[in-house]
Amino acid sequence: MSEKVRVGFYALTSCYGCQLQMAMMDEILHLLDKVGIECWFMVERNSEEDREVDIAFIEGSVSTQEEIELVKKIREKAKIVIAVGSCAIHGGVQSWDKDKEFNELWKTVYGDAHVKFEPKMAEPVEKYIKVDYKLYGCPPEKKDFLYALGTLLIGSWPEDIDYPVCVECRLRGNPCILIEKGEPCLGPITTAGCDARCPSYGIPCIGCRGAVKDVAWFDSLALEFKRKGLTKEEILERVKIFNAYNPKLEEMVNKIFKEGE
Amino acid sequence: MYINGVIELRYVKLPKENTYEFLERLKEWGVLYAPVKISEKFYDFREIDDVRKIEFKYNRTIMPPKKFFFLPKEKIFEFSISKAEYNEVIENVEPFIVFGVHACDIFGLKIMDTIYLDELPDKYYKVRREKGIIIGISCVPDEYCFCNLRETDFADDGFDLFLHELPDGWLVRVGTPKGHRIVDKNIKLFEEVTTQDVCEFREFENKKHQMFKYHEDWGNLRYLLEMEMEHPMWDEQSELCLACGNCNLTCPTCRCYEVQDIPNLDGDTGVRIRRWDSCQLRSHGLVAGNHNFRPTKKSRFMNRYLCKNSYNEKLGISYCVGCGRCTYFCPAEISFVENLRTILGVKDNSCPPEVAEEMPKRGFAYSSSMGGEE
Repeated sequence: MSEKVRVGFYALTSCYGCQLQMAMMDEILHLLDKVGIECWFMVERNSEEDREVDIAFIEGSVSTQEEIELVKKIREKAKIVIAVGSCAIHGGVQSWDKDKEFNELWKTVYGDAHVKFEPKMAEPVEKYIKVDYKLYGCPPEKKDFLYALGTLLIGSWPEDIDYPVCVECRLRGNPCILIEKGEPCLGPITTAGCDARCPSYGIPCIGCRGAVKDVAWFDSLALEFKRKGLTKEEILERVKIFNAYNPKLEEMVNKIFKEGE
Repeated sequence: MYINGVIELRYVKLPKENTYEFLERLKEWGVLYAPVKISEKFYDFREIDDVRKIEFKYNRTIMPPKKFFFLPKEKIFEFSISKAEYNEVIENVEPFIVFGVHACDIFGLKIMDTIYLDELPDKYYKVRREKGIIIGISCVPDEYCFCNLRETDFADDGFDLFLHELPDGWLVRVGTPKGHRIVDKNIKLFEEVTTQDVCEFREFENKKHQMFKYHEDWGNLRYLLEMEMEHPMWDEQSELCLACGNCNLTCPTCRCYEVQDIPNLDGDTGVRIRRWDSCQLRSHGLVAGNHNFRPTKKSRFMNRYLCKNSYNEKLGISYCVGCGRCTYFCPAEISFVENLRTILGVKDNSCPPEVAEEMPKRGFAYSSSMGGEE
């Protein structure tokens, strides 16, 4: 490879944990002779958002008017756009209560404080631009970064993860806390890749990697949670933490609570 | 020993008080794995340090013993794009012992063998299978077990030793030359089998047989499944399914795997890995061009029922060994057995039952509407 692959890492509203995760990887040193960092304020002083890049990583939710313009600009300048982490992909925890009045939420958090930008409800990047690939997680796993980068560097395309956390939980040999303890584990509907990190510590999955695309059976899980005594509100509140924007969630959960009893 | 077409097995008795000593001695043959309690209710095969932690009366392990031979996740080769070559990564496997394998799971391994040790053996499976010593243990069924209906409740082979519980020890069937050597090396721990022991063995087997929840003939099940593709059960039950894959991943005979190439950051080298797959996952039926030959959850749900009930020609049994895991470990509480019984017609009276409980029958010859006589 003669020419360097130009990379940018852009942050919208977020905790910056995703780029920190990536910046902390030792393996990143192997990239230095292959990759040119055009924009990544956390690691490169000479960063500019206006430069053209081959791969743009975007973390954070679109939460201000300026960020809407920024993501559009990134899309124009980038060949490949990768949404990184739950905020960029699903709107993040900050969109948990998205159905409430925005002003009410603003007041709860900031009171009467004034800011220099125009805030709006947190939204996924995909709401404004086309996203080519997603690195799920809060934050994404190191191995997911490596896999995606490695695959793109050989000129191929990384596979999407379209199976649930349960698969990895079984492969790890964990007991199932949903069956055994009746814990409201979101493993069955949540995108795998974390190697069942939380269930491995006996903690029910909270769904931080977001629902598996198209094959998250919220209805079946809601039925099971209902049997275990959870109310519709409790189920929705839990699943919405990272899935508030999922278009199928409420409809599928409602179906279960309409049927019978 | 093989005399005039009769396989003469060797039977010895391991007195109860020698059990732990025997288990301790097993470690001389390799790393010892056995069932232990891993949580409030569940068991799994784990490496054993303290032999007193071994559970002799467990219901079922969450991971089937296939995990020792067909690893849940493994590297299969390393590749280099610039050199256009790949090198298989086959581990140097040390001998190991899997103690406490139930009869159904031994059949599970035999089924795995028919697939992975055929004329084109799976190298990664074979190398582990050759190094693994299998010691079976007798068990009694719980409400989820139906190995009796699968004819996998008693293992004739597929083990080095098989321990049958007696009130004061174990009646041990020796199944292989290696089993002989293990007994011979520890001969002082064993006694001769007495007439009383044989009586106790019979007693145990009889009691076990009576404990099974269902006593019915499932001989025509696989055909009925194919004929009943329009049965409402499929819609009703697949609707409940979470498609989480637990049923496949805990199954002792599921053998599909998914492969993935993981390139390194050098833009040249990388590894190919494989991991257990599940036919309940969308990508299982996904092929080139984004086509999917099992596009719906229902079609994937049905696939498992048909696959598990299909006929393994080499062994003459179904691919399901009746261990009960797919029901026991289903987070959506879907009962595989009850769904099969629905198809059999023993539950739903809207259609005449296919199987009369009091009159076992099998195949066309026993059918009332067939046969030569008037």
